[in-house]
Amino acid sequence: MNKTLKNPLVYILFLLPTILLYCLFMGVPVIQAFYYGFTDWDGLNPHIFNGLENFKEAFSDSDFWFSLLNNVYFIYFSIVIQLPIILFLALLISQVKRFKAFYKTAVFIPSILSTAVIGILWGFIYEPDSGLLNQFLALFGVEKIYWLSDKNTAMISILITNAWQWTGFYIVLILAAILGIPKDLLEQAEIDGATTWKKSTQIIIPLINPIIIVVMLLSIAGAMKALDIVWVMTEGGPFGTTDVMATYMIKEAFREYQYGYGNAIAVLIFIFTLLITGIFQWITKNKERIEY
Amino acid sequence: MKKIFSHMILMSYILVILIPFVFVLFSSLKENNIEIVTNPWGFPSTFHFDNYVMAWNNAKIGTYFFNSFYISVVASLVTLGFGAATSYALTRMKFIKLSKFFYTFILLGLVIPTGSLLVPLYKLITDFHLYNTHLALILPYATFALPVSIYIICAFMRAIPSELEDAAMIDGLGAFGLFIKIILPISIPPLVTVFILNFLGNWNEFVMANFYLSSEHLRTLPVGMVGFRDAFNTNYAQLSAGIMFSVVPVLIIYSVLQEKIIEGVTAGSVKG
Repeated sequence: MNKTLKNPLVYILFLLPTILLYCLFMGVPVIQAFYYGFTDWDGLNPHIFNGLENFKEAFSDSDFWFSLLNNVYFIYFSIVIQLPIILFLALLISQVKRFKAFYKTAVFIPSILSTAVIGILWGFIYEPDSGLLNQFLALFGVEKIYWLSDKNTAMISILITNAWQWTGFYIVLILAAILGIPKDLLEQAEIDGATTWKKSTQIIIPLINPIIIVVMLLSIAGAMKALDIVWVMTEGGPFGTTDVMATYMIKEAFREYQYGYGNAIAVLIFIFTLLITGIFQWITKNKERIEY
Repeated sequence: MKKIFSHMILMSYILVILIPFVFVLFSSLKENNIEIVTNPWGFPSTFHFDNYVMAWNNAKIGTYFFNSFYISVVASLVTLGFGAATSYALTRMKFIKLSKFFYTFILLGLVIPTGSLLVPLYKLITDFHLYNTHLALILPYATFALPVSIYIICAFMRAIPSELEDAAMIDGLGAFGLFIKIILPISIPPLVTVFILNFLGNWNEFVMANFYLSSEHLRTLPVGMVGFRDAFNTNYAQLSAGIMFSVVPVLIIYSVLQEKIIEGVTAGSVKG
């Protein structure tokens, strides 16, 4: 009877298609990125192995560093600006009784929509002549701002759009953690006379610390691979001021025909992402955990 | 009193979420660009439903919609079938050491930033002569969704009590029969979640669809709309109608299955 579930033929048959697809479309590209990252290649002519040349080039390429800086800007914005807003709104939702389900459902909506569509939508909002934002600001006498084509405002405009798309997603994550705190714990605090502010900062936030760390980790990983929102809104422009690593990679590979160099950047994105999330996990792991 | 204040803050946030959609909805029914520019906040003076017809036919939104739908469904079905079979083999069949290895191997895929595969994958796609075919999207979509899908399905299947299988085995069912007749029917809830999540992900995907296809008639909805926006003399009313065609199906699915979607998206991401 135990033999039934030890049928090697069925086992192989059930695993093989997955393993094949997985190796072919994820495994092979990973290996190829590493391989071609060490070559000088335009994508057409035979490739020439050139050792660490591409990586040396990347490290002295100020445009690449600039694009990496924009990824860091993404991280900074999501942790310093977005996270407090997320926590505040999640705490508010957890403390109201009416419309709780409605708030949760509504805030989540932008995160299930296409980033391309959201980019177009916010293009309407940022449109200099007739966009909603400039029309609104005009009420207060603010002069026309070219949000996406001025190098001083383009990046922040993208960051706001990105935050608009993902804030609700993280609110729902945090909210689930808050609602998972045992009721008697919070009731005890109320009996002891804790104010809402005290209850939030001294009980709830320390208790949901693990999920806050997860949110930070997801924000960092998301920031490192930021791509489609930038591509749809500005294609990295004006003059590369909004380029992130991934858009820079695409431009080098597909527009400049620096296919080897593009692959080297792919490898760097991969390594930097693992490195930064690894460091972050190492830092946060040593913090004490509160059990309840 | 304090509660009213909380509701006011939350309602203003909801407004910030909803205003862009209301703006697009109104714009999609306005006469032309001039009416959108001169009266951006207001209600349409008359309802121009013909924008939807024009967008669907003349701006080829209909073609893009069909492409997106067909690609998303096929890729999600492939992920679902392969993912379910693999999860069954990994969690229910008695090859414990091998299964542990393959499970870890597949979950490694969650660490890979898929965006960085865009360039090397392009080479693979052209080598296989898949460039500018729908398979150039279906195969990567199906593959990239496998790790998280297998993670979700495995978590469910692992918890199924083995008494059910024991009874069925006494009745003479083989490993294949057990999968089809016992495990699959029980596993419908996570399978629905996985299918919907992958469908939404594929429906919304932009970058690969933008770089792996060149013919206009093959484009998906997100790429088609970005192209429409960037075209000369864009008709914003029709573009807005196009956005509605992309957003409304997602909102309909969401309104029916919101609990499953929220649960699935958050569970999958926390692991990833």
